[in-house]
Amino acid sequence: MPKRSSRKSSPSPRKKRSATAKKTAAKKTTAKKSARKKTSARRPAKKTASGKRPASFLKGYGRLLFLFGALVLAAYYLYLDVMIRNQFEGKRWALPATVYARPLELYVGKKLSVQQLLREIKLSGYRPVLEAKSVGTFSLHGNTFELVSRAFQYGDSFEVSRQLRIRIEQGQVLAIDDRNTGEPVDIMRLEPAVIGRIYPAHHEDRQLVRLQEVPKTLTRGLIALEDRAFYQHHGLDPRALARALWADLRAGKLVQGGSTLTQQLVKNFFLSNQRSLWRKFNEANMALLLEWHYDKDDILEAYLNEIYLGQDGKRAIHGFGLASHYYFDRPLAELRLKEIATLIALVRGPSYYDARRHPQRLLKRRNLVLSIMAKQRIISAQEANSAARQPLGVVRRPHNIAGLYPAFMDLMRRQLRRDYRQEDLTAEGLRIFSTLDPAIQQQVEQAADKWINRLDAQRGLAGKLQTAVVLSDTSNGEVLALLGDRNPNYAGFNRALDASRPVGSLIKPAVYLSALEKGYNLASMIEDTPLTLKGPDDSRWSPRNYDGQSHGSVPLVTALIRSYNQATVRLGMSLGFEAIADTLHRLGVKQAIPAYPSMLLGAVNLSPYDVSGMYQTLAANGFNSPLRTVREVLAADGRALKRFPVTVKQAFSAEKIEMMNRALNAVTHVGTARSLQKLLPADLEIAGKTGTTNDLRDSWFAGYSGSHLAVVWLGRDDNQPLGLSGAGGALKLWAEFMRRIDTRPLPLFELPSLEYEWINFLNGRLSAEDCESVLYLPFPPGQAPSERAECLDSGMMDDDF
Amino acid sequence: MLRQTRFLFLLPALLLFACSFTPEQPVSKTKEETGLIQIRPSTSSRPAVLKLLEKARRAAKAGQFDVAEAQLERALRIEPRNATLWHYMARLRLEQGRMEQAAGLAARSNSFEHDDASLQANNWRIIAHARYQQGDIEAANAAQARADALAAD
Repeated sequence: MPKRSSRKSSPSPRKKRSATAKKTAAKKTTAKKSARKKTSARRPAKKTASGKRPASFLKGYGRLLFLFGALVLAAYYLYLDVMIRNQFEGKRWALPATVYARPLELYVGKKLSVQQLLREIKLSGYRPVLEAKSVGTFSLHGNTFELVSRAFQYGDSFEVSRQLRIRIEQGQVLAIDDRNTGEPVDIMRLEPAVIGRIYPAHHEDRQLVRLQEVPKTLTRGLIALEDRAFYQHHGLDPRALARALWADLRAGKLVQGGSTLTQQLVKNFFLSNQRSLWRKFNEANMALLLEWHYDKDDILEAYLNEIYLGQDGKRAIHGFGLASHYYFDRPLAELRLKEIATLIALVRGPSYYDARRHPQRLLKRRNLVLSIMAKQRIISAQEANSAARQPLGVVRRPHNIAGLYPAFMDLMRRQLRRDYRQEDLTAEGLRIFSTLDPAIQQQVEQAADKWINRLDAQRGLAGKLQTAVVLSDTSNGEVLALLGDRNPNYAGFNRALDASRPVGSLIKPAVYLSALEKGYNLASMIEDTPLTLKGPDDSRWSPRNYDGQSHGSVPLVTALIRSYNQATVRLGMSLGFEAIADTLHRLGVKQAIPAYPSMLLGAVNLSPYDVSGMYQTLAANGFNSPLRTVREVLAADGRALKRFPVTVKQAFSAEKIEMMNRALNAVTHVGTARSLQKLLPADLEIAGKTGTTNDLRDSWFAGYSGSHLAVVWLGRDDNQPLGLSGAGGALKLWAEFMRRIDTRPLPLFELPSLEYEWINFLNGRLSAEDCESVLYLPFPPGQAPSERAECLDSGMMDDDF
Repeated sequence: MLRQTRFLFLLPALLLFACSFTPEQPVSKTKEETGLIQIRPSTSSRPAVLKLLEKARRAAKAGQFDVAEAQLERALRIEPRNATLWHYMARLRLEQGRMEQAAGLAARSNSFEHDDASLQANNWRIIAHARYQQGDIEAANAAQARADALAAD
């Protein structure tokens, strides 16, 4: 017998009450029953003991044997009773948690193409039809979608089913109307796509349905086919049994079951294929006990959710709710007659009537089901005939959500583990509203597919180039997309979270931000000259610049945007490791920061996810918002259990971050990431930083627009060189998806508390807009340079790191 | 960009609680509640956001702060740089008694580009109130001074 959880959960308050009430009632009755048994067992013994002719066999061993037998019988029933009640009350509701993507918000003016909306609608499980009349269908004519939405319970409200019309024009939503009232709709949510379930170890899957939401034709048809006397019998149906026995005898083998629905339910509780008399005997007794404790509708509902209806690889398909999705890719309430009949047909033997391997057998049985339903007047003969003429309509490949977005699901599970136990996630039927944006995730996956293959081939890396991407919403820290392997469906090592690699120059903004906090400004002159530092073990370290040159006296901003190593180390040494470690921690980095000079050039191991946390603070104006994957969690009955709201904590002043953002924006115009200008639309302003580690082993790019932050890492698992710099690798992949998603430019507005000047970034002097080599930079009041520069030609741009 | 959204109403309750901001006189709960309810953005914000604000307002009035919060978050995903929306979020936290978050969100609201001095003053009042409740009188007075200076402009 498979060991199963006997946890009791509460799908609805009503259920729980009735279940507990029954449980206590059951306890009493069981007690009574065993008491009754004992007395009845004693009575004949007493009689014989006081009888005139005391039989010797009853006086001696016989009596003992009899008593012993009665006790064994009582114990047997008690054992069955406990077991069956545990199964019924516990396992019946062991539901995996359902994970949803973010719901798509639709409103007039929203940027969205016809293709994008089409994809979202399909992801949400809508069926294309010519005219959208029934729930869960949609039509598309030209640029106009018509659909009938499903009622849906969100954490904040219950939304009813509506008939809607959505018009798209030139890549944005032009109008949304309610087709019934003709009224315009200001805002609506498309029900979120289910992107995953969290299964218990034994891979049983189900989708709970309540009796009242199951189509009547299904329950009546099921009873007609499997157990006509269901509402009359007490768990066993002797007449059906006799009929089956007669049929078996005539055929000379087992051809007919004769089991009641209750017996079938018991059999499903303890799945075993053995067909022994002893098992039959046990099942019959448990069926009687079940009927004694619970009413018919409870048993029927449990049956509908428990019955085994197919196998999808390792996953067992239990219950009509899940079977409906598995075979027809649709919720049970939306099934048509022919599909309902098919599911009823499958009850008899999901593998013998396998829908995909033996469609002819199943079709024959389905039509038999239809004709019996017609005979029993559940449907009309005409309905039966017309349904019987139609094909099975089983979807070729079920919309298999298992294994989608493994990297994101991994991160989400880790975050949920802080608040929930594993058993709660796999048994309580929780509904988890995640932050994943499937449209953005798709763009990231496609961009990775394109660039990883291309770069891998270019560099002759023989398939060893690996990648990780973290993409988040800068305003609230929601993780919208995550990639942990070049194959987005690979569920193993999650590089986004677990590949801790040297970050190289990505660390430099922390050094320069520390400098700004210590009174430097963007035009402060710093020295980019050779230096040698002594390590604790007397080793010597002489950092070099990527271009092999030293640049002498340079403005602070130039050292950052051109990623000069010598200037950075000199600056960092003057600020002290403590100050820089403090800045890193305030940015959101949790790891301990080593206090040695190479740390200043990124000899700090961080995962792409850690780097995202750090840049998130820069992207959000100096406000720290932890990265989140879950918005809220609902109980199975729709009660809101927990929200994970946006939280903010100011870690840096708006002025310091504004200076940093301007500098990082300059990186994408005249610095190491200037190749972005060719790869992105001209008006999409970005702030970002490239990162490259020793011998070109890691290629990083971290960059943000006005609404999205993305960190991309490329490297090899064996840590061998790639031959790719940050700009030559990660940046290309980054630009590929960023130009495809709907993102806003980095806003470049002027803070009233700062002064803005055109500065020549080669010498740090005042200049003018129309001169070469100039940047428009903010300064704290009174700190802008006063010396004016000549209009000069642009400087060397040969470094690309 | 953010000029779409402005106050039609000058947060009478906020001003009330600003006036009442003295160490001896903590703000009463009812005043705060009416404060949130009476905030309305101008009609120049996009209809989707106005609709969500209306929902948030109704939920807050009914004491359903979680629902109000969810609606404000939805609105913020549409207009993430709308200083007024961040301000409402801060007010909601204030009503929930989450002072640290109230102050953080008010500061976030002030970090966006806007030339609405009264909004900025109100954000500083939230910060002042939060700091006072947290027992940081010095920070509370400093924030209150910023609010007063802005209100005097």
